[in-house]
Amino acid sequence: MADCSVDLAPRNPRELRLANPVIAASGCFGYGLEYAGLIDVQRLGAFVSKGITPEHRSGNPMPRITETAGGMLNAIGLQNPGIKGFLKKYPPVWEGWRVPAIVNISAERVADFAMMARLLDETPGIAGIEVNISCPNVAAGGYCFGWDAAMSAEVTRAVRQATTLPVIVKLSPGAIDIAGVALAVEAAGADAVSLINTLVGMAIDIRRRRPILANETGGLSGPAIKPVALRMVYQVAAVVDIPVIGLGGIMGVEDAIEFFMAGASAIQVGTMIFPQPTRLMTLIDGIDAWLDEAGFQDLSGIIGLANAGMLARRTAPAVAAAG
Amino acid sequence: MAAVREFESEIVAKRSVMDDAHLVDLSAPSGLVAAMRPGQFVEVLCRVDGSYDPLLRRPYSLYATDPANDRFTLLVRPYGRGSEWLGQQRPGATLDILGPLGNAFEIRPKSRHLLMVAGGVGAAPLVMLSQRAVARGVAVTYLMGAMDAGSLLPASALPAAVEYLVATEDGSQGHRGYVTELVADYIQWADQIYSCGPEPMFRSLRQVVRQHRVTREPRVWVSVERTMACGLGACLGCVVETRRGMRTSCVDGPVFEMDDLLW
Ligand SMILES: Cc1cc2nc3c(=O)[nH]c(=O)nc-3n(C[C@H](O)[C@H](O)[C@H](O)COP(=O)(O)OP(=O)(O)OC[C@H]3O[C@@H](n4cnc5c(N)ncnc54)[C@H](O)[C@@H]3O)c2cc1C
Ligand SMILES: Cc1cc2nc3c(=O)[nH]c(=O)nc-3n(C[C@H](O)[C@H](O)[C@H](O)COP(=O)(O)O)c2cc1C
Ligand code: FES
Repeated sequence: MADCSVDLAPRNPRELRLANPVIAASGCFGYGLEYAGLIDVQRLGAFVSKGITPEHRSGNPMPRITETAGGMLNAIGLQNPGIKGFLKKYPPVWEGWRVPAIVNISAERVADFAMMARLLDETPGIAGIEVNISCPNVAAGGYCFGWDAAMSAEVTRAVRQATTLPVIVKLSPGAIDIAGVALAVEAAGADAVSLINTLVGMAIDIRRRRPILANETGGLSGPAIKPVALRMVYQVAAVVDIPVIGLGGIMGVEDAIEFFMAGASAIQVGTMIFPQPTRLMTLIDGIDAWLDEAGFQDLSGIIGLANAGMLARRTAPAVAAAG
Repeated sequence: MAAVREFESEIVAKRSVMDDAHLVDLSAPSGLVAAMRPGQFVEVLCRVDGSYDPLLRRPYSLYATDPANDRFTLLVRPYGRGSEWLGQQRPGATLDILGPLGNAFEIRPKSRHLLMVAGGVGAAPLVMLSQRAVARGVAVTYLMGAMDAGSLLPASALPAAVEYLVATEDGSQGHRGYVTELVADYIQWADQIYSCGPEPMFRSLRQVVRQHRVTREPRVWVSVERTMACGLGACLGCVVETRRGMRTSCVDGPVFEMDDLLW
């Protein structure tokens, strides 16, 4: 048994300690309860809730999902009960749970992110906040927060000031300079970053001569996006000091190991859960078994192993001291 | 509600039906089949381990159950990638199945006469329902519509006590035209109506019912079809809009009261 535990908020006295590095991703695990009858949810490292918004949302018109080669497109439209309805319904249940529950929040105004973070800060049963910055910023004419380092930092700062809870900022792959955004949110007080969110895509029904999704575009997820996600995790892990949580297309143990070697301290699993929910459990055991077999005592032994930039930065201060 | 399981299932037998479709008999873990109800469905992983294509499971309604032998049956019509793959699997092959999922068609205790309206493979859940109804001594009229005679279920698929009437678009068997044209004669007789099939069929059914029904009775229950991902109410990809708000067709459905649906 290798030691797979990990603290995803080492700078934060409140900590975000996980028994193992496998986290169920936002939007792919409901509120945890949906899966409680099927798998042992308490065994997960953590889970992230569906994205919560300031007000109730009934989501986009149908169709909302469609399958693509090695992936799927979704345009759910953040259907959720809104922060107030959410607080009444779920945290009281989670309070009795052992598994850390992380709440994913989305908003179109900086002040709304802060308002939600403040409400969550006072609520028992919540282990951390994941800030979804892949949303349009009303104050910037709908330009996505996560595509711009300054706007991403502004949201992070507002959330940081509103809560002492561990704050994970979830980066958008639409950013041209993902490492720059990561550095900006780190400086603004993020305890960790997670990446990647979905990539904007489309599929067309050639018979009906229209996009398949009612929303026209949707977020691409699943194995098809893994190489992009891995590259971004690699680039971000090479420059930040806070933990990086890697996700995008993970379907099995070897995918997870790739993300660890790219520099992720933990992983999230999204789309895989839909077809293969019980794999969440085999993934936890499989990572442990892989480490044992490869002769590692703990997970930290492989984090960043394949990331030249990360390794160089880790050894650089020692070299400087010696010189 | 019965527990949902992800389980390995063996194809124990396979028969041809309706020209190009298959009836697939599957094994299940001990005790699971007894909890399966008509209208519920399972999600089948239509790929081998290591392949991601097709990525998502495909939902199939329960066609019949055999609790004594821990077996259940699906009706699969090859249509696209998932159903083609499933149709090619032979007896002895192992499938990965998630289920049972969804709500069920309920038979109210006072109901004596049930009308079923099936279109195409939508016939599947209504076969199981009619078996349960007949076992309880309830009278069933089963109407089925299809393109042509070859796409109809044989009468032998239903219990002998069921009155079975068919409609084909090309007139090769039974009434020439749509199955919903047969419904009007039964509306006064029926205590409840159940339907499963393509959405245009539901629209005609709604019209006929509106024309011939005086009160809210008989109630009409329909099983809707939506693209699904999780099957467990987590992804919110399969919703339908109802008078009570957005509902998932995988957990709150697939069976809804027709009057509740906004479409
Ligand atoms: C609750 C529920 C119960 C079901 N029960 C049955 C059943 O008992 N028997 C059965 O054979 N099928 C049933 N289906 C349909 C089944 O889940 C699959 O959709 C069907 O087998 C086609 O999948 P595929 O992978 O073969 O096609 P795909 O490769 O997914 O699709 C091929 C093409 O057909 C389109 N398409 C897919 N499905 C449909 C459809 N139903 N109508 C119109 N266009 C479609 C796709 O958009 C695509 O363009 C059920 C569906 C639901 C939601
Ligand atoms: C149906 C669906 C809904 C999602 N909803 C959210 C959401 O509410 N908030 C969020 O930050 N990410 C959401 N995501 C993105 C996932 O959390 C994840 O970042 C992405 O799917 C990539 O990981 P994967 O390939 O493992 O699925 C959603 C993804 C899917 C497929
Ligand atoms: S298929 Fe995911 S909510 Fe119904």
